[in-house]
Amino acid sequence: MGRLLDLVNSSYSEKRRIVAPLIGFPGVKMAHSSIKLAQQNHEEHFKVVASLVDKFKPDIQFVLMDLSVEANALGLNTLFSPNESATVLKKNGAFGVKELDSLRKIEFSSDSRLLGYVKTIELMKSRFPASVKVGAYVTGPYTLAGLIIGAEEAGLMAARHPEKLEEICVFTNECIMQYTELLLSAGADAVCVLEPSGVMLGPSHFEKFSMVNVKNIVKLCHTADSDCVYHVCGNSTHLIEKMVESGVDGLSLDSKDVGVDLSEIAKNIPENIVLIGNISPSRTIVYGSPKEVREEVKALLESMDSFPNYVLSTGCDLPLETPVDNISAFMETGRNYTISV
Amino acid sequence: MSVLENLKENVIAGNESKVLEYTQKALDEGIDLEKILNDGFIPGMDVVGNKFQANEIYVPEMLISAKAMKAGMKILEPLLTEAGVEPIGKVVIGTVKGDLHDIGKNLVAMMLEGGGFEVIDAGVDITAQKFMDLVKENKPDILGLSALLTTTMMEMKNVIDAFKEEGLRDDIKIIVGGAPVSEDYAKDIDADGYSRDAASAVNLAKKLLGK
Repeated sequence: MGRLLDLVNSSYSEKRRIVAPLIGFPGVKMAHSSIKLAQQNHEEHFKVVASLVDKFKPDIQFVLMDLSVEANALGLNTLFSPNESATVLKKNGAFGVKELDSLRKIEFSSDSRLLGYVKTIELMKSRFPASVKVGAYVTGPYTLAGLIIGAEEAGLMAARHPEKLEEICVFTNECIMQYTELLLSAGADAVCVLEPSGVMLGPSHFEKFSMVNVKNIVKLCHTADSDCVYHVCGNSTHLIEKMVESGVDGLSLDSKDVGVDLSEIAKNIPENIVLIGNISPSRTIVYGSPKEVREEVKALLESMDSFPNYVLSTGCDLPLETPVDNISAFMETGRNYTISV
Repeated sequence: MSVLENLKENVIAGNESKVLEYTQKALDEGIDLEKILNDGFIPGMDVVGNKFQANEIYVPEMLISAKAMKAGMKILEPLLTEAGVEPIGKVVIGTVKGDLHDIGKNLVAMMLEGGGFEVIDAGVDITAQKFMDLVKENKPDILGLSALLTTTMMEMKNVIDAFKEEGLRDDIKIIVGGAPVSEDYAKDIDADGYSRDAASAVNLAKKLLGK
């Protein structure tokens, strides 16, 4: 348990930072593949992430970010475009007890695409150098509930019928736990819970629909001596306390563009929780120049100098169109940086 | 409390059945249509917007208020049209091509309606051509573009460029929003404004129209 923290502390004592951008899709171009193929075939998926490890040598490499895996395994219609990440199509119609019972009958963990992600983790773990930590993603319980019943419906249900939504989130978390177990058995060093829809909730709703469930995912990860990370997109500043309370090892947070001030947050979180972030994926890494990337990375690193519990990363996943030179600029600046305290 | 105060409070509370009840009551009492809108619905949604911006409420609470307001407005709107009461502005709004997410766009649309705008909701996955067709057909004051994904926000620039190529750009104000979008990006692509949330979108739209 706590391997991420050990790694981070040991790097800090050597005055350097762990560098782990959330990269997946840029590897699709580098491996001359397509997102659709990589998200449906584990060998192809591995080829994509391996191209990133070969080129950039990050300290942690995640699989492709795909919020449709669990929902798709639960039978939801999913759109696979050649070069867009798979998207769950909007659910129409009411969702009630009958629909939830139908979902319970699905053999969730034997879904072939879900098992493809597990296989990808196995390949990453067996073929990557031991110095590269292998990261898996799972969809958060509230976000998965939103994919099943519709994001707007989930929001309305949170306010009008919270007890019903709680039941759905307990169910989605049971599915996520099954998937997490498989990922951990395959060798995932870290499991990152993606809860993008969580940002729309206030702290008490976030606790009820996400955090109490994620606590169980954390326990599972810790039993396997792996780490668990919470990732919430957008300005999640109001949820930090609840995320910390879940017992996770790390918080992966979005960029300053959306209002997340990492050095301010660092002052208020326990030293055993690692902050991961938060260079602007769009403004800086996709649209900026290598010079702008270097400047922003340097400024962020300087602002975090006094905090040991920090990993240099991006605020969110990088898209396919990300210029390779900008990722190189990010990696080089991170690697060459020396902590000045 | 007066009928309109009750209407306002129930919009804030997101109590749809009570909003319907007090809208009807206001009409039955013969209260002027514009007064129902300006002293009931709009101030109710103003409070909701302010509370949202102050982190006192979040999306679920804002959604139920917006839904309650929309239900009441369904009764009021045809009567306002019949009476020739003009909205403070007209907005076409949609999520750009390649993006199927709509909760943010829907919230902005509902907040704009609650702010006294007429809103034409184009839906999701809308091409630049479709936006131009809708603008030509409806002649709105403002076009609102939404995107949730870093990949699809690039389409916002394509839409604005298409309006420039067609010579339509100067006829309309274009505002943008969505999780990956920023003020800087809005400036870069030559949008007229950026809003970080649904409540601010109403103020932005009013400001752009000098209201």
